Amino acid sequence: MPIWRRLRAVWNNLRRKQRVESELDAEIRSYREMLEDERAHDGAPPEVARREALLELGGAEQIKEEVRDVRAGASLESIGIELRQSLRGLRRNPGMSLVVIGVLALGMGASTVVFSIFQSVLLKPLPFRDSDRLAALSETRLARGIDQASFSEANFWDVRSQNRSFEEIAAYHSDDVNLTGYGPAEKVTAIAISAGFFRALGVSPILGRDFSYDEDRGPSTQTGWIGKRVVILGNRFWRTHFSADPSALGKVLRLNDESYTVVGVLPPGEPWINEQIYRPFGYRPNANRGSWEFSVIGRLRPGASLESARSDLQRIADVLARDYPKEDKGIGFRLAPSTTWIATESTRRALWVLLGAVVFLLLIACLNIANLLLARGMARQREIAVRTALGAGRGRLVRFVMLESLLLSAFGAVFAMALAYGVLRVIRALEIRGIPRLSDADLNPWVLGFAAAIALLTGVLSGILPALQAPVRGIAASLREGDRQTGSRGQGRLRAILVTAEVALSFFLLVGAGLLIRSFTRLTNVDRGFQTENRLVFSVSMPGSYWENGVGKEFLDRFFARLSAEPDVIGVGAVSSRPVEGWDPGMGIDSVSSPANQQAPWAGWRIVSPSYFHAVGLPLLRGRVFDENDKPVWRERGQPEPVRRVVISDRLAKRIFHNDDPIGKRVVLWKGQSSGTAEVVGVVGDSRERGPAAGPTLTVYIPYGVNALTSEFVIHTRSHPLTLAPVVRTIVASLDPNLPVADVRSFEEIMQRSVAPQRFNVILLGVFSGLALLLATIGIYGVLSYSMSRRASEIGLRMALGASHRSILRLTLDQGLRPALVGIVIGVIGAWWLSRYIATLLFDVKPFDALTYAAVMLLVVATAMAACYLPCRRAMRTDPASALRLE
Amino acid sequence: MPNASTALLQGTLDVLILKVLALEPMHGLGISRRIAQVTDGTFQVKPGSLFPALRRMEDAGWLSAAWGESVNHRRARFYKLTAVGRRQLREETDQWARIAAAMATALSTS
Repeated sequence: MPIWRRLRAVWNNLRRKQRVESELDAEIRSYREMLEDERAHDGAPPEVARREALLELGGAEQIKEEVRDVRAGASLESIGIELRQSLRGLRRNPGMSLVVIGVLALGMGASTVVFSIFQSVLLKPLPFRDSDRLAALSETRLARGIDQASFSEANFWDVRSQNRSFEEIAAYHSDDVNLTGYGPAEKVTAIAISAGFFRALGVSPILGRDFSYDEDRGPSTQTGWIGKRVVILGNRFWRTHFSADPSALGKVLRLNDESYTVVGVLPPGEPWINEQIYRPFGYRPNANRGSWEFSVIGRLRPGASLESARSDLQRIADVLARDYPKEDKGIGFRLAPSTTWIATESTRRALWVLLGAVVFLLLIACLNIANLLLARGMARQREIAVRTALGAGRGRLVRFVMLESLLLSAFGAVFAMALAYGVLRVIRALEIRGIPRLSDADLNPWVLGFAAAIALLTGVLSGILPALQAPVRGIAASLREGDRQTGSRGQGRLRAILVTAEVALSFFLLVGAGLLIRSFTRLTNVDRGFQTENRLVFSVSMPGSYWENGVGKEFLDRFFARLSAEPDVIGVGAVSSRPVEGWDPGMGIDSVSSPANQQAPWAGWRIVSPSYFHAVGLPLLRGRVFDENDKPVWRERGQPEPVRRVVISDRLAKRIFHNDDPIGKRVVLWKGQSSGTAEVVGVVGDSRERGPAAGPTLTVYIPYGVNALTSEFVIHTRSHPLTLAPVVRTIVASLDPNLPVADVRSFEEIMQRSVAPQRFNVILLGVFSGLALLLATIGIYGVLSYSMSRRASEIGLRMALGASHRSILRLTLDQGLRPALVGIVIGVIGAWWLSRYIATLLFDVKPFDALTYAAVMLLVVATAMAACYLPCRRAMRTDPASALRLE
Repeated sequence: MPNASTALLQGTLDVLILKVLALEPMHGLGISRRIAQVTDGTFQVKPGSLFPALRRMEDAGWLSAAWGESVNHRRARFYKLTAVGRRQLREETDQWARIAAAMATALSTS
């Protein structure tokens, strides 16, 4: 039948169903009457005629049923009827229905959230053209143990001009500048890029234009190498500062007191193109070769591979090492394909673990619902028997039972979507650092498709066992009134197996969560070295003009004086790079007495004010801290060579000088790149500059001064640190209204942010495992109370024969705990096998941590016993007489 | 003896109904009796098979139906071939001829 005709027939049949039904009825009646006429005509008396007519007709209801089946749209109709019946059935059991829908909503909602995150962080392709041709380049000095360093400016230009494997190489350098003229002064991140940067990535501005290759030539200024005064805006900056107005093109921004014209706006995306402002820098002949500052990306030429590019770069490295023996000694290059740009290995692993966890949770939910539906199966025995009598085949029955679980699944999915939406919004609001593109996770079509798929799968999985259990035999027995045989023994065993599986899966989740919780606790309890209580941290970035004529130092000194005068302030310190969160510039440093070609330890260096150590609570272990006479190690213009003095951290002192007293000894700074030496005047306690997870860093501290300014400040306050923030802003504004105060945080908050990804994992996994345990508990309870009700008469008999309450208790407890205990055994084995996947995420905790396993076992046993409590009590309260009577 | 399997009967039933109605419109019982007549009693169509078939063919557009009066002044539903139904009859008749010829050939050569 052609499709349009079929559709029309379906439409007609459904619309005029009433009339069609009555017409059929009339037609069958008329047939019978005409049969009667025939018989009567042949001479039969009226009753005989009627009987014979009926015989020949057959069953009118059957005929109607057959016609209904054949009618176009019949299956649709019958599904519609069954749907309505299922709905009615669900309404009749509101408690169970709500529980099931709730369970499903939780399981599916959690899965959707995790998949959305997974998709956004790992699966979504990079927003660049042919991103598999892109790679990030870095310098290496493998002999010194450095396998990834930023490029120096001069090396970048050389690699760019001498390479044969890339069609474009571009560099990227981050600066903080002060934006003035758009409301209060604001610190803004301005990225200096070489002109081909966006072209290399394959990204075009959505407004305006890209930098042209001649725009990187421009007047040399204090900051040295910025080209023409044009900028391209990042997408978010354009939205927040220009309200996404296209007329932003052509506007002028004042950055560090210089005017820049806006020529373009970027599309949104990560990485590389999600910063605030971009400006071009260009080639200059005497570029710095010693300072590692630039990130470099490249697009491979068609036909070139990573391997061929690597050997090409090696060739260049050899040339550079030969031509510049001082800065480029032992130089090598490293290529990282763009697949590594978004997620580090540990982020990837963490997300896979989360995905696995949520799959377990969903499985547990399915098992739970299958359990519940099996329990209800008995009550529907009669209903199914009636349907079978009316002619429903096995397929119809399976469809009918499955329809119910699919319906529950559909309702659950609706609530799951609402839940997922809410949770994703919360995650977005939290702004968790360390997991890129996390805030982009949303309910896009891919995620919705996934949600629909798991809704279908869940419905099928939950319903398949009860559906297959639908009995087609024994109709007569099912229809018999007063039959109390509530289901077979096999069903009880099946349910027990389901519960065992639930307990085992929950065990995995609980162990995983427990390990992560222990790891996280260890992580946050690590001795950071700093004192982080009551410390306010903020940054004030100074423009280029502050570096001339001692303006900056004068500002700093006045700033310190004004701050120290505040009653709430105990100590004020300044540092060039924010602890934990800031840049980590480094140098090779070694004792002057160690041989020139010996590999020097690599230490992070920081410019500090004398009071910094006191402000952050680093104890002075030997010698002294800086005072007013200590000058920066760099020579001031027009001044003689300074007397260089440094303070080093304890671990660095031990590394360089072993057990000797370092005070008064001399060290070589930037070993391998320069030859300046300095005297060690003090040793301070260790700190973890890179956050709790990294070890204590080797640090060398340099005094601040006219040509060594600090932009980060730490204030030790008496009361809550953030209460001082407005005061700080006022003081800065009074000293220079064009200086923005930015990134104001308490030190505690900084430490917490540094472990935000781990905390995120712990919370999610903790929630999942809690839910899993809850579901398993419900499962145990359900199975036990079912089996107890089945054995009610047996218990009654035992009690009548004199069994004590204790033995009944033991009986029920034994029955109830058995699936749980088996589940625990399987859980231990499985968790031990699975925990290797989680090992890399753990800090200072072994995967097979005895304490965690013991705690989880205890928890599961305790919850299982709690679940058994009610059924046990009911069993013990059985009245033998009534139990026996119910036989 | 009417012993044809159900599957065979559906296909044959359709074309028999079409053939019977090609002569004149008829009601259900009439169709049943006529089919028995033209097949020399081989096919006795019960209402349990007839009505679903009629419904199907009506939905497909091969038949149209209307209430009318039988010879005994009983109200009955009369079925009539449509143009599409006539074409279907021609096609099915041709197909049957081909099948019959093929079977005859196959079964005669041994």
